[in-house]
Amino acid sequence: MSMSFEDLAMPLFPSLYGYARWLTGEAHEAEDLVQETYLKALRGFGSFREGTNFRAWMFRILRNTFLTSRSGLRSMASLDEELVEEIADIGTPETHFVNRANGEALRRAIEGLPLPFREVLLLSDVESMSYKEISEALSIPVGTVTSRLMRARRRVRTALEGVR
Amino acid sequence: MSHLNGEEIQRYADGELDDAAAIEQHLRDCAACANAVVAEMQLKRAVRDAARFMPSDVLRARVRRRVVGGERPWAWMAAAAAAALIVGGLVAAAAVGTLTSARELADLHATILASANPVDVLSTGRHTVKPWFEGRLPFSFNVPELAGTPFRIIGGRVVWAHGQPVGYVMIGKGGHKLSLFVARVPLPAGGMRGFENVTWRKDGLSYVLVGDVPRSDLEQLRARF
Repeated sequence: MSMSFEDLAMPLFPSLYGYARWLTGEAHEAEDLVQETYLKALRGFGSFREGTNFRAWMFRILRNTFLTSRSGLRSMASLDEELVEEIADIGTPETHFVNRANGEALRRAIEGLPLPFREVLLLSDVESMSYKEISEALSIPVGTVTSRLMRARRRVRTALEGVR
Repeated sequence: MSHLNGEEIQRYADGELDDAAAIEQHLRDCAACANAVVAEMQLKRAVRDAARFMPSDVLRARVRRRVVGGERPWAWMAAAAAAALIVGGLVAAAAVGTLTSARELADLHATILASANPVDVLSTGRHTVKPWFEGRLPFSFNVPELAGTPFRIIGGRVVWAHGQPVGYVMIGKGGHKLSLFVARVPLPAGGMRGFENVTWRKDGLSYVLVGDVPRSDLEQLRARF
């Protein structure tokens, strides 16, 4: 017997809420976004093909819902210059150890990331998604996942250096 | 093998390398690269810990109702019954698996006090601390008004114990700092090696106050909740 929408979708609830919270930056908007995501996903569940990645599918719906919302459109504006690819770092980078105790500074650093960097970082580090899964959720090539993740972490490190 | 480049370090830390044998051999011989890998993993862990949010049970129930209720009302009842069983089982399992000794709580108290950044939200009153917990804990609890008492709220944070989120509020009394832990699972009570502690349950939540002050002070504070 195949699993119902509820069986598949409800275990993802805390993850989707956390992601929504980081996209919107605000609790009430995140709640609305998560609810809308579940309703959209339920309506579209018929078109979901079994065997494909359900988690990536749910995250994609949440993200698309956010991007077409007002604050989503706002956060996508003025992103062009951020996305000019930097030349990948060759050679061993300097080692910076992060002070784990400083959660608030780290949260501010994540908040300060442009959306394309913030989302790869969250999907990789918080959701432990593989690069392939992230590429499915965000509809971008795996190579882009790799390079954005590198730049996201570099920016976070730089931001943390600043508060030391 | 020469030093790892940034992408190799990243992909190794993210578990994205199909064949990591050569890299692991190099990491055994090269302290610089091993440090870089540790730093990368440390950043990942720090991001994970700092970025976690917890939705409220109210929101979860609402979404579940809308997802299930609209289509198949009968299934919702069955699902709710099943969920109640599962949740009951999980809570029971979590209770067994979490914070089994009062010593662990005492250690947590001592560790937080010794930390360079003991709290994530600083406060001058409950009106800044209570809203901060919203969305960071799956439950809410009352932070009492302490104006006019010898106590003051210093700040709060979320700590994790065995995968369970625990609300933490640091409370000051003179030069002393007390810790309040609040969790949905029962928190252990008992001897804490030199720290006084008071434990109680209210509205399905477990509260523990820990500190190096006389027990009567903790009782006095408890009375405010």
